[in-house]
Amino acid sequence: MYNLELNKLIQEIKKRNSKQVLIQLPDGLKKGSDKIIDFIEDKTDAKAFIWFGSCFGACDLPLGMDILKIDLIVQLGHNKFNKEVW
Amino acid sequence: MVELLLIDAKWEGKIKLTDELKEHLKKNKIKSVALFASVQFTDLKDFIKELEENKIKVNITKAKRTNEKMQILGCDCYEDSFQDNIIENSDAILYIGDGLFHPKALLLSQIKSKNFKPIIIFDPIANKIKEINKKDIEKQIQKYKRNLKLFINSKTLGILVTIKPGQQYLNSAKNLKEKLKEQGKKAYIFIDNNINLSQLENYPFIQCWVNTACPRIGTDDILNIEKPLINIKEAFEPIKALEELDNEK
Repeated sequence: MYNLELNKLIQEIKKRNSKQVLIQLPDGLKKGSDKIIDFIEDKTDAKAFIWFGSCFGACDLPLGMDILKIDLIVQLGHNKFNKEVW
Repeated sequence: MVELLLIDAKWEGKIKLTDELKEHLKKNKIKSVALFASVQFTDLKDFIKELEENKIKVNITKAKRTNEKMQILGCDCYEDSFQDNIIENSDAILYIGDGLFHPKALLLSQIKSKNFKPIIIFDPIANKIKEINKKDIEKQIQKYKRNLKLFINSKTLGILVTIKPGQQYLNSAKNLKEKLKEQGKKAYIFIDNNINLSQLENYPFIQCWVNTACPRIGTDDILNIEKPLINIKEAFEPIKALEELDNEK
């Protein structure tokens, strides 16, 4: 129903040579997270993980992931967010 | 370094001007619409053409925090959130998408307006039409006004700051604390990732809270808490904000 562009995602992981990928999904897409992880681990050598918590928008990104040696965060369902500066 | 990739997940279906929607617009004498959509539904070229063929003028703008024209986010909920004031110049707002969070931003953006425009929600997945209007946020407006009044009279305040990159306004919080100090008020800054409002009760010495994170906390979530809470945007000039709400333009 929604185009998750998983083939593009695989290409990006390969191009960036990402080793550990974190997938962050809005609530409506979380139920299909297992399939995304399986697809990534099947098609690439990367290890893939699911962000358990909130995904309110591109304003809401997991922090401190470098501690876990995550090298790519993929957030689905949102595009670039322009933060208001004031 | 952690890299970031955003995939907007467009809806794969075709958005069409259905007979039912055509009828709804006709029945309500809508001759022009301000068109908005959530990011999954912004491929609207053919849909716009269909509207125009049916003599409906389509007005388009870009909301400040979004990345493409027509897109609406929940946080673009102020009257100055749009590049052009197309709402004022349209008979109604037409929103394409599912859910209420995004179209409610379009209601909230009009709370100071006397010339309030209804929002026609067209959900292309369920093929359903729903209309929302000012009455759907009346409770929020009343609570918002009450909270502003309580803020003005509070002496001890708590300023909430999130570490979420797109919502983090620690500097603004520090500026507000200084300003409140000049007014003889005492403010404390609280930091967390998710602003979990059930934590508020652990700090009974705070008379009123100021939210610097997602503005919808100060407009929607306030209905679920007793303690007053306002958004930082209003905290710098609360009397002006209150007057504007009382004297709708």
